[in-house]
Order: sequence, then C-alpha cells, then structure tokens
Amino acid sequence: MLRRDFFKVLATVSVSARALWGRQATGGNAETQAPSAWRLPARTVIPPIPARVPDAFAVTQANFFSAEQLATLRRLSELMMPARDPYPGAADAGAPEFLDFLIGASPQDRRQMYQTGLNRLSEDARKEFGAPFPEISAEAADKLIRRGLTAWIDGFPPADPYMCFMSVAQQDIRMATMNSEAWNSATISSGERPRGSDFYWSPIDPDIQMCV
Amino acid sequence: MLKEKVDVLIIGSGHSGGMAANILTAKGISCLLLNAGPVVDLHKDRQLKQAYELPYRAFGKPGRLPHVYQANEFNANTWVDEKEVPYTCDPEHSYNWVRVRLFGGRSLFWGRKSFRLSDYEFKAKDHDGFGDNWPISLADLAPHYNRVESIFRVQGNQDGLPQYPDGNFIADPSPWSESMQRFIAAGKPLGIPVCKPRNSLGNDGWASSINLLLPAAFATGKLKAIPNVVVRQLDLDKKTGLVGGVHFVDRHSRREMSVKARVVILAAGCLESTRLLLNSQLANSSGVVGRYLIDQVYGPGVVCSVPEARDGKGSPDLMGGDALIPRFRNISVRSEKFIRGYALTVGSHKGGMDPRNFATYGDDLEKKLNSYHGSGFSMGMMGEVLAHPKHRVTIDKKVVDAWNIPVLHVETQYTDNEFNMVRDAVDTSAAMAEAAGFEVLAKNYQPYPPGYSIHEMGTCRMGNDPKTSVLNQWNQSHDIKNLFVVDASSFVSGGWQNPTMTILALALRSSEYLAEQMRMGNV
Repeated sequence: MLRRDFFKVLATVSVSARALWGRQATGGNAETQAPSAWRLPARTVIPPIPARVPDAFAVTQANFFSAEQLATLRRLSELMMPARDPYPGAADAGAPEFLDFLIGASPQDRRQMYQTGLNRLSEDARKEFGAPFPEISAEAADKLIRRGLTAWIDGFPPADPYMCFMSVAQQDIRMATMNSEAWNSATISSGERPRGSDFYWSPIDPDIQMCV
Repeated sequence: MLKEKVDVLIIGSGHSGGMAANILTAKGISCLLLNAGPVVDLHKDRQLKQAYELPYRAFGKPGRLPHVYQANEFNANTWVDEKEVPYTCDPEHSYNWVRVRLFGGRSLFWGRKSFRLSDYEFKAKDHDGFGDNWPISLADLAPHYNRVESIFRVQGNQDGLPQYPDGNFIADPSPWSESMQRFIAAGKPLGIPVCKPRNSLGNDGWASSINLLLPAAFATGKLKAIPNVVVRQLDLDKKTGLVGGVHFVDRHSRREMSVKARVVILAAGCLESTRLLLNSQLANSSGVVGRYLIDQVYGPGVVCSVPEARDGKGSPDLMGGDALIPRFRNISVRSEKFIRGYALTVGSHKGGMDPRNFATYGDDLEKKLNSYHGSGFSMGMMGEVLAHPKHRVTIDKKVVDAWNIPVLHVETQYTDNEFNMVRDAVDTSAAMAEAAGFEVLAKNYQPYPPGYSIHEMGTCRMGNDPKTSVLNQWNQSHDIKNLFVVDASSFVSGGWQNPTMTILALALRSSEYLAEQMRMGNV
C-alpha cells in the first residue's frame, strides 16, 4: 500500500471512531464528552449504596411443603425457637418459609426426610391427641418432640429416621432464625455486636466458559 | 515457532511443588511451574459479610459440593467444583475427594498440625508383619524434617516418645489448664501419654507455599509460573524413554498448548498426580500406579462438660488449651482387635456449647446452653488406615471433566481394622473423661467417609523393588529417570500423623537429589 493511501485509511478510521463516539454522546462536540464509565481512573470513588436484603421488607413465598406440612413446620419452629426478648422467634424471623424454600431446593433425600418427618408429626398428633399438630397443646407437642430428640455430635445425626428429622430440623430452625435479618436487626438494636460474620469468598477468576 | 525446552517443569504449586521450586532454583536450576487454578487476591476475592446477607443464610446452596464437608457458604468458592472436575465411585462406598486448585493449593487452608512419621510407620512391616516397609527410615528423613520445621516454625515440646518423634521446635511454654491436668492424670494409670500438640506457626498468618517457599524461588529469577493451565497428559519420547514434556489446556479459553522439559516433577496433589500418570499411561510397569490408596479415620469422638466450670463458677485457670495423645496402642503391647493405632486431639473450651449436644429444645435448651457455657471438653480421633492393593483409583473413561480430561474412579472402604480402632478410640476417650470427673454428653462411633481427612496418600508408592513400587526412595520413577512425583502419592503407609511435614521433607530430599543428578549429567 502506498504511504499516502495508508494515512488516508488511518484518517478514515479515526473519523469513523469519532463519529461513533459522537452518536453515543448526548450532543455537542465528541471531544468534550465525559470519559466512558469503563475507563474511569482507578482513584474514582463510587458513593456507597446502603443495600438491604429482601427479608427486611418482603416475605418468602412458600411453594414446596403442602399446607398441612407448612403449618406443622411453623408450629414446630415456634416451639423450638420461641421469641426471647429482644430476639425474634423462628416465626418472626421467617424461618419456616425460608426452610420451605431451602428444603424445596435440596436433594431428594433431604426433601423426603422433612416431608416424612412432618407427616409423622401430623399423624402422631391426630392419633394420640385427636387434633393436627398445629392445634395440640404445648404439653402434648412436647411429648411428640422429645421422643425424637437425642444428644448428637455435629456431622453425625441419629440413624433413626424420626430422630434424624427432629434433630436436623431443630438445627435448621435455629440456624435459619439466628442467621436472619430480623435477628441481626434485633442484635444491633439491643446494642450487642452481631456475630456470625466471616470472610465471604467470591468466585475467584471464574471459568468464562460457564458464564457465556 | 518452537519454544526451547525448560529445565524443570513442576506441576502444582502447593507444599510439595513449592518446596521443589524453592530448592531447585536455589541451586541455580530454572523451573517453570504450572498451576491449574488462579492466583488469589485477598482484597479482591473476599469481603467480610454477615450470615444473613448470604443468599442461603449460610446454609450454602443445596447440593453444591456434596463431598466437601468442610465447605460452607462463606468458603464454597475456594474448593474445586465437583461438577467441573468430577470423579466417580460406588455410591455404597462413598469417597470425599477434597481439592483446592488456587495457586498454593491446599497449603492455603491446611490445619497446621505438624508431626513427623516415626519408625512405627516407616518400618511398620517389621513391627507387625502387615504391608510393606518404606525404603527409608526416620534417620534418613530426620535432617530434612529439621529444615522443614525451621521454615514452617513448628511449635511443640520434646516428649521423648518414639511414636511421637521430637524435632526442631519452638518451645510451647503455655501451662496446662486444670481440666487438662485432670485429664492427664486420668491417662497415667492407663499408660496413655497426653502431650502438647505441634503446629506450624508460619509467618504473618500463613504457613503456605505462597509465603514460605515460593517468594525465595521467585527472587532467584529462576522460577516462572503460569496459573490457569490444566495439564492434560505427559508426553513420552519413545526414542529416549524419557518424558519429553506436557500438553496442557488454558483453563479459560480451552486453547491446547504444549511445553518441552528436561525433567518433569509431579506435585499436583496425591490423586491428581496419579490421575495424570494413568491418563498418560506412563511409569506403571509395576501395575501399582493407582493402588494402595490410604487416608486417615476422622469423625469418631466424645464431647464432655467439666461440671466445675458451669454456671460461671469456674476459675480462670480451669479451662482452655489443646493436647495431643499420640498413638499408644500396639507400641509395647499388642492389641488383639487391631494393628497400628490412632491419635486423639483433645480440647478444653472456654466458649459456647453446641446445642446439638443436648436432647432438649426451646427455653430449656437456652437454659442448658447458658449453664454449660465455658465447660466443654472434647476428644477426636485420627486413625491409621491400612494400605491394601485393592483400594485404588483407576480412570473412568466414560466421564470427563470440563476440559475433556477423563476422571478418576475411586474404590476404597474402611475395614474391620479401622472400625475396631474406632470403637477403642471412643471407649478409651469416654473412660478417661469419666475418670477425670467430666460428664460425657455425646459419643460418636461413626467415621466420616474415606477422604474426609483430606490426607489422601499412596497410589504411587515408593520402594526398592520396581516390581512392587512406582518410585524409588528419591521419589524418582523406576521406569522413567526424568520423572519425579513429590507429593503424598509416594507414601507407603500413612500413620495417624498429618502428612504435611513428611510431604515437605520428602520433596526437599528429592529435589536435592535431583539437583545433584542434573549436575552430574545423570538426568
């Protein structure tokens, strides 16, 4: 290519780039436009956005458990983790609904354990006390709960299916309650230091093939 | 354009790869290090969060990392994803293969327990007739242990027990708490020694290849490193019978590349190094590559309460501190129920109790937790697993990973020896706790699945006989002189001890041997 043709091409490319820039700008001379956000200097500071989690304003829609199973889980949660001033109980922390979401997304064996366990609570309540679990007294419920509890060590729940359900459900209810936004707010309001914080590791240089 | 051959190619950047790089570059040898994963940036890659801010309230995404029990929602992104790099096993005999491919590997997150193997491990066959001896003894590795313990700043005391070899330690001057003294006294009539544990202090919060080994290697100017490349296979030069180089694939783009090398060192972690050899179909005239997979029994234990520490009544010196009970079975007296032995980690805890340890709920549970706060005392087992040739890994040709590399199939399970050891460990722990006046709250006799300990060893074991071993005593392949495997795949037996100090000592010894062989022109 001749030298003058080379520079003609270069100038054409430059003009085209400026024209494109100009189309993207809201108006005026392209050379006085603000730099693209992608190319802001490293020292640029973004004002903080005080983001909130959805639980601060919204409730979880329960879609997995049947109506009776969910009602049983709600009653069980209230008994396992009642409110203790200033901390919310499981119901106020949205724990039953959160567990409906979590267990619904879990592998089959965990889903089955919960459904079987909740069904068993319902059946035992009807058989022994003539009413569904949500409607029996706390003393009656205590009998049904305690036969499912035993001391165990983290990672090794009881082998008996009902005891396994009761033990794991208790742990899950506690965790869903104490790790809730409501619990955190109560902690701050009472002047205590929130616990349960740790370093969260983001995906590290994630595989771009999985993102596309 | 052909690139020149590199002198030494090191695959893996964890403790063993880092040690190889450190030693070889110090001797003036140029090294290229390949790592499958990215470099971590502590400022960019992590931030402090509360549990309620996480999508699953710290439960973790259900079904993610089903075989990594150590994973939680905070750290889930640090482990190798099981869908990206799968493996297969019989569902009835599950295996937990726990991996980290970040630069530095598992050396970034290990538990710091730092023990030497003893001649009860190196010469186990002489002691009880089972299995095979290592081709080396404690005396052969002691000088290297000394240097490793200095680099990693291991803290511990000299105990004078042959099964718990003393070493080059920073003394632990911390006094025993009163609860620990009671426990020690309970062990004396039973002949059970209770010792100070030994831990790597490291530097600046890290005891990893990335802060203790690799910086010096980079400073020589002789080390170059490439993250984010997954090695597919080793190439054999059929004319020379030596490894000529490796093929690898860029982790992101999937671009296939190759590099030639004069020497190749596998340090990808026990099972990844073995997987590479099996996929490359190399170095296996013995038929032993993949066999004799071992790890350690973890999980069984006892949780107790010290009554005098409840209801806020304990003195400041009553609780606190850790201890280690080294193997005490089958030392001077043979057990009828099992061979080899186990250690116990012991802890006296000043903090809150685990609600799971109480069979109650609601207000009653809260009252118990308040009452028992600060009174916890626990024991956990670390047990030796016997090496059997049928416990092994092979290649599952039907399944490939995200880079189309065939995956491993793992076949192993614990035997009566391990289960009998578990029963003895839990019963003995409970008996000692009761003799010390503690209340036993819960006992567990069930081990975690094999692999949970993250101490997988064997599958490329060393030995003097090329017919029954893969490597010689210098971690050099019997079949291919320019191929070395320096991670825990070289182990002949595993003992109860965390293998990290031994991995480092062997990698150091092997690298110095290699450097000398290169200097003499033998490799």
